[in-house]
Amino acid sequence: MLKINNLHVKLEEEDKQILKGVDLEVPAGKVHAIMGPNGSGKSTLSYVLSGRDGYEVTKGDASLDGEELLDMEPEERAAAGLFLAFQYPVEIPGVGNMTFLRTAVNAQRKARGEEEMSAADFLKFIRAKAKDLKIDADMLKRPVNVGFSGGEKKRNEILQMAMLEPKMCILDETDSGLDVDAMKLVSEGVNALRDSGRSFLVITHYQRLLDHIKPDVVHIMANGRIVKSGGPELALEVEHNGYADILAEIDA
Amino acid sequence: MSTAVKMTADEINADQRPASGAWAAEARADAANRLASMGLPTRRDEYWKWTRPDSLISATPSEAEVFDNQGEPLVFHEIDRLKLVFVDGVFDADASDALEGEGLEIERLSTAAEKDIHWAKDLYGVLETAGQTPVKRPLAAYNSAQATDGVVVRVTGQVSRPVSLIYRHADKASDAILHHVIRVEEGARLTLLENGAAAARFNQVTEVDIAKGAQFHHVRAQGRDHDRQAVTHLFTRVDAEAVFKSFTMTVNGKLTRNECVIEIVGDEAVAHVAGAALGDGADSDFHHDDTVFITHDAVACESRQVFKKVLKNGAKGVFQGKILVKPDAQKTDGYQKSQSLLLDDDASFQAKPELEIYADDVICSHGSTTGAIDEEALFYLRSRGVPTPIATDLLVLAFLADAIEEIEDEDISAEITGRLDAWLSRRRG
Amino acid sequence: MAGLDELNVKEGVEEETVEAVKSLAGTYKYGWETDIEMEYAPKGLNPDIVRLISEKNEEPKWMTEWRLEAFARWEKLDEPSWALLNYPEIDFQDQYYYARPKSMEEKPKSLDEVDPKLLETYQKLGIPLKEQMILAGVEGAEDMPAEGRKVAVDAVFDSVSVGTTFQEELKKAGVIFCSISEAIREHPELVKKYLGSVVPVSDNYYATLNSAVFSDGSFVYIPPNTRCPMELSTYFRINAENTGQFERTLIIADKGSYVSYLEGCTAPQRDTAQLHAAVVEIIIEEDAEVKYSTVQNWFPGDEEGKGGIYNFVTKRADCRGDRSKVMWTQVETGSAVTWKYPSCILRGAESQGEFYSIAITNNYQQADTGTKMVHLGRDTKSRIVSKGISAGKAQNTYRGLVSMHPKAKNSRNYTQCDSLLIGDKCGAHTVPYIEVKNNSSRVEHEATTSKVDEEQMFYCRQRGMDEEEAVALIVNGFAKEVLQALPMEFAMEAQQLVAISLEGSVG
Repeated sequence: MLKINNLHVKLEEEDKQILKGVDLEVPAGKVHAIMGPNGSGKSTLSYVLSGRDGYEVTKGDASLDGEELLDMEPEERAAAGLFLAFQYPVEIPGVGNMTFLRTAVNAQRKARGEEEMSAADFLKFIRAKAKDLKIDADMLKRPVNVGFSGGEKKRNEILQMAMLEPKMCILDETDSGLDVDAMKLVSEGVNALRDSGRSFLVITHYQRLLDHIKPDVVHIMANGRIVKSGGPELALEVEHNGYADILAEIDA
Repeated sequence: MSTAVKMTADEINADQRPASGAWAAEARADAANRLASMGLPTRRDEYWKWTRPDSLISATPSEAEVFDNQGEPLVFHEIDRLKLVFVDGVFDADASDALEGEGLEIERLSTAAEKDIHWAKDLYGVLETAGQTPVKRPLAAYNSAQATDGVVVRVTGQVSRPVSLIYRHADKASDAILHHVIRVEEGARLTLLENGAAAARFNQVTEVDIAKGAQFHHVRAQGRDHDRQAVTHLFTRVDAEAVFKSFTMTVNGKLTRNECVIEIVGDEAVAHVAGAALGDGADSDFHHDDTVFITHDAVACESRQVFKKVLKNGAKGVFQGKILVKPDAQKTDGYQKSQSLLLDDDASFQAKPELEIYADDVICSHGSTTGAIDEEALFYLRSRGVPTPIATDLLVLAFLADAIEEIEDEDISAEITGRLDAWLSRRRG
Repeated sequence: MAGLDELNVKEGVEEETVEAVKSLAGTYKYGWETDIEMEYAPKGLNPDIVRLISEKNEEPKWMTEWRLEAFARWEKLDEPSWALLNYPEIDFQDQYYYARPKSMEEKPKSLDEVDPKLLETYQKLGIPLKEQMILAGVEGAEDMPAEGRKVAVDAVFDSVSVGTTFQEELKKAGVIFCSISEAIREHPELVKKYLGSVVPVSDNYYATLNSAVFSDGSFVYIPPNTRCPMELSTYFRINAENTGQFERTLIIADKGSYVSYLEGCTAPQRDTAQLHAAVVEIIIEEDAEVKYSTVQNWFPGDEEGKGGIYNFVTKRADCRGDRSKVMWTQVETGSAVTWKYPSCILRGAESQGEFYSIAITNNYQQADTGTKMVHLGRDTKSRIVSKGISAGKAQNTYRGLVSMHPKAKNSRNYTQCDSLLIGDKCGAHTVPYIEVKNNSSRVEHEATTSKVDEEQMFYCRQRGMDEEEAVALIVNGFAKEVLQALPMEFAMEAQQLVAISLEGSVG
C-alpha cells in the first residue's frame, strides 16, 4: 500500500534537514504505529506525505499503491486515497461542516470519475456515520471545527475519514488533547474502519492510544529516521522505559 | 487671501526668507515653490474636512494668554536630560545646556543654515517633500520655506541622556516656526523629549531619518496654554530593523493638528505612533486633530497607531489615520486604534481610519469606538464607595492607558501618567 | 433564517435551481446577446432627447419639466473623482439614451405572437414560464395557474419595462407593482409626492443624469398595515450596444407594511464599456419594513479588462416613520466599475438600518462601494457588515459613513468591514468616515484585511478539493453573514456566483 523509500526532507525556508532517510512499508489492511520523541520528524512525515507547502524533498520517494505520491497536488493525493487526520484540525469560519464534507466527497468522486452523490443520499450517509461516532446533528451544521472542543475536533476528523473512505489513513497525534472517554470513542471509530483494504499509520507520542488501536507493527522514529521496528510489545517497552533507553541502546 | 500668511513663491521672496547659505537657500526656495504649486489648505480640501485651517494661515495669530502654572515644575523636570530652550521660537542660549553630548552632534538650524555645505542638506525639506505625496501638506512646505530656527542633530552612538526641547511661551502674540532635522545613524539610539506651548501659534516640522538598526523614541507634552494653536508635522523615514516610537500628550490648547508621516523603507522595521488627548472645552475651544499616514514599503514591518481622546464641554476630536501597504510590502502587520470617550453631550469626534492595501500576505486591521463612559464600570466603582468624580477619572485614566503604554521608558511614562492624573484631579477641585 | 447547510441538502426547487445555475456556469453565464429589432433614439444627450424619452413614455407635462430641470442642472455638474476608481473618460454624448424592443409597440395576444427572441431571453434568465408569458405581455396570462414559488417580476429590458407579473393578485392586496412609466400615468399623485424626495434631483452627477433620462424602472406602493403577499423582483438587462440603462425605482412602504424586494442584473458580453446609472428611492413610514436585496451581475469585462458595465448607482432609503426599518443586502460580483453606496436616513425614532454587502472583484474589476448611515432620530440603530474580496488585478474599496447627529440620542452603530485578498496583484481598501456628535450614542467600527488562510487551503485540499473549489468554499464562509441575509433563492444563486466570479483567481 504505502511505500516510503530513503526519504530526505528539509525545510524550504531554512537549511534544516528534518527527515534523513526514512524507509517504511505499510501493507494493505495493516496498522503501523510510529512513535518517537518530540522533534523526531513524525509530524513532518505526515505533512510531506499529504503535500503541505514548506518542505523540500531532497532525496527518496513515496508511493501509494504504486502511484508516485510526491509529484501530486494535495487534492490528487486525497483522491488517490490518502487521508490525514490533523493533529490540529483547522477552523473554517462560516463554512458548515456538512457543506464542507459534501464538497469534499463530491470533489473526490469527480476526480475518480465517479458520479456525484445526490443530496438525499449524502444526507442519509452522513447521518448514519455521525450516529456511529455520537456526533449530533448540531455539530454537522456548525462551521468546520469552529467552537469545537478538542474531543469534538478529533471525532470530526474521524467522521471525515469515514465519509471519504480512504485507503491509507494517517493519524497525526490523534490522541493529543483527548481525555480517556474521548480517546475511546475516537478509537472505536477508527477500529470500525479497519478492513483488509485499508491501512493505517498511527503517529503518537504515547503508548496509551495503542491500547485502543492495536497496531500490527510499531516503529520508533528518532532524529529523522526509523531507528527500530517491532511488534506491539515495542510500544510497551517505550511506555516502561521511555525513549532514552531505546535511543541509548541504538547509539551504543 | 489678503488675510492669509504670505504663502506664494512670489510673496515669500528670498528677502523674506531667513538668511541662509547656499544649501539652505536652495532648500527654502524649493519649499516656497512647492507651496506655491499646492496652494493653501482650504476647508474644501478632503484632508481639512474636519479641522478649519483658517486660523493657522491667517496673517497674524490670534492672541493667547501665557498660562500661569503657579510655580509648578514643568513636565520631565525629574528626568536627566540635555535641555535646549526656545522662547517664542527663539533659541535661548543662556537657559540651555551646552550643545554637546556623547554620541551626539548638535547645532542650531540657524547656524547650520549659514554654512555653504552641510549634511542636513540631504534631509532638510527632503522627507517633507516625500511626505507631500499622495496628500498635500502645505503648512509643512510653508515651514520649510520660512522656519527661523530649530535643531540639527546627528546621533552616532547610544545617547545616554534624552535631548529635551523646551518651548516657552512668553509673548501673547508670538508666531513661531521651528524646523528640526535629526539623523540617527546605524545602530544609534536617541530619545527626544518636547514640552511646552511654544508660542501663541506654533508651526513645527521635524524630519527624522532612522538608519538601519537605529532607534528613535519621542515623547511630547504639548503645553497647557488654553488659547495656543499648533500645527506640527513629524516626517520620518525608517530603515531596516530600525525602531520609531512617538507619543504625544495634549491636555489644553484651542487648536492642535499633529500630523505624523511615516515611511517604512527597510525590512523588519517597527513604527509606533500614539497619542492621549484630554480636552475640556470650558477652558477655551478645544479642537484636537491627529492625522497619521504610514506607508509600508518593505517586508515584515510592524506599525501601530493608538490614539485616545477624552472630550467634554464642546471639545472636538479628529482622527485621520491611514495605512498604505505598497505592492511588495509582504508580511506587513499594521494596526490602528482610535477611540474616544465623550464625557458629555456637547463633545464630538470624527474619524477616518483608512486602509489602502496592495500586498496580499498582510495582517492589517483597525478598530474605532466612540461613546460615553461605561455606566456599569462606573456603578461598580461607586458601589465600592468611590465617589462619581473620582470613579470617572479612574476610568478615564484606564481608557488612556493603552496609549501611554506605548512609551517604553518607565520614568517618562510615569511622568506622563502623573501629569494626566494631576490635570484630572485639579478639575475635580 | 435557515442555514445554508439545510439548503444544500434540500430536495426540490432549490436543488433544481442549483443544477440550472451550474449548467449555465461559464466564465460569464449571462454573456449572450438577444438579437431583437430595437427602436433607438438618436445618440447623444440634449433637451430634445429628454423630451423624446418623456414623450415615448406618454408622460404628463410636469414630468417632462422635472426631467428638463434635472438636465439643466446636470450640465453644470462635474463628474466626481473622489472614488478609488480609474477608468477612461466617459463620453456621455456617445451613448444611446433610449432603446426598446420594436415588438413591444403593440401588445401580443398569445405566446406565439411574442418575439421568440425575447422569450428566449427570459428563459436564459431562469424566469418561470408563466412569468415569461406575462413578461412578454400575453393577454390572459395572469389568470393561468401559477407554478412553483411566487415572485412577482418586473423585467426591464434596456430602457423599457416589458412586463410585470402577478399584477392582479397584488392588486387584491392593494399593492401597486408596476413600471415607473405606468405609475407616472396611473398614479401621478404618489409619484409627484415621492419622486426625488429621497434622492433630490441635484443629489449627485449620476443621479441628476438619471433624473433627466430615466426611461423606466419599477414602482411599488404597499398600503398601510399590509404585508406584501409575495416577494417582488425586478430583472434588469442591458442588451443593446452602446446603450446606457437608467432605471429608476421608487418604493413606498406605508405605515405598518412590509415588503421584500429583489433585484437582479445581467448584460451581454461586449468589448466596449457600457453605462448604467440607476436611482432607487425608498420611503418607509411608521412601523414599516423594507428588505431590498440585489444580486448585481452585470458583465464585468473580460480577463484583459476589456468591456464591462460602468455601474453608477444611487440608492437611498428614508426611514421617515418611527420604528421603520430597512435592510439592504447586496452581492456585487459584476460590472467593470462599481460606484454604489446604498444608504439609510434614520429619521424616525427607533428606526433601524442594516447594510450587508459582498463585493467581489476579479481580473481588472474595480469596486468602490459601501453605505451611509445617517442617524437623525433618537434610539436609532444601524449595522454594517461588508465583505470585500479582491482577486486578479482588481481593486476593491469599502467607503462608508456613519454619522450620529446631535439629536440622535442613544443610538448605536456597529460596523464590521473585512477584506480578503487573493493574489498579490490586487488591492483592498477601507475608507470609513465616522462622525459622532452626541455622547449617548455608541459607534463601533472594526476592519480587517488578510489573505486566504494557507492552513485552511491545505485542509480543504487534503480532503480532496482543488484550489478553486477550496477558495470558493472559504470565501463563501467568509461572506456567510451576508449570504444569510439574502432570501433563499438569491442565497443559492449568490453562493454559485461567488465561485464563478473567482474562477481563474488561483494558481
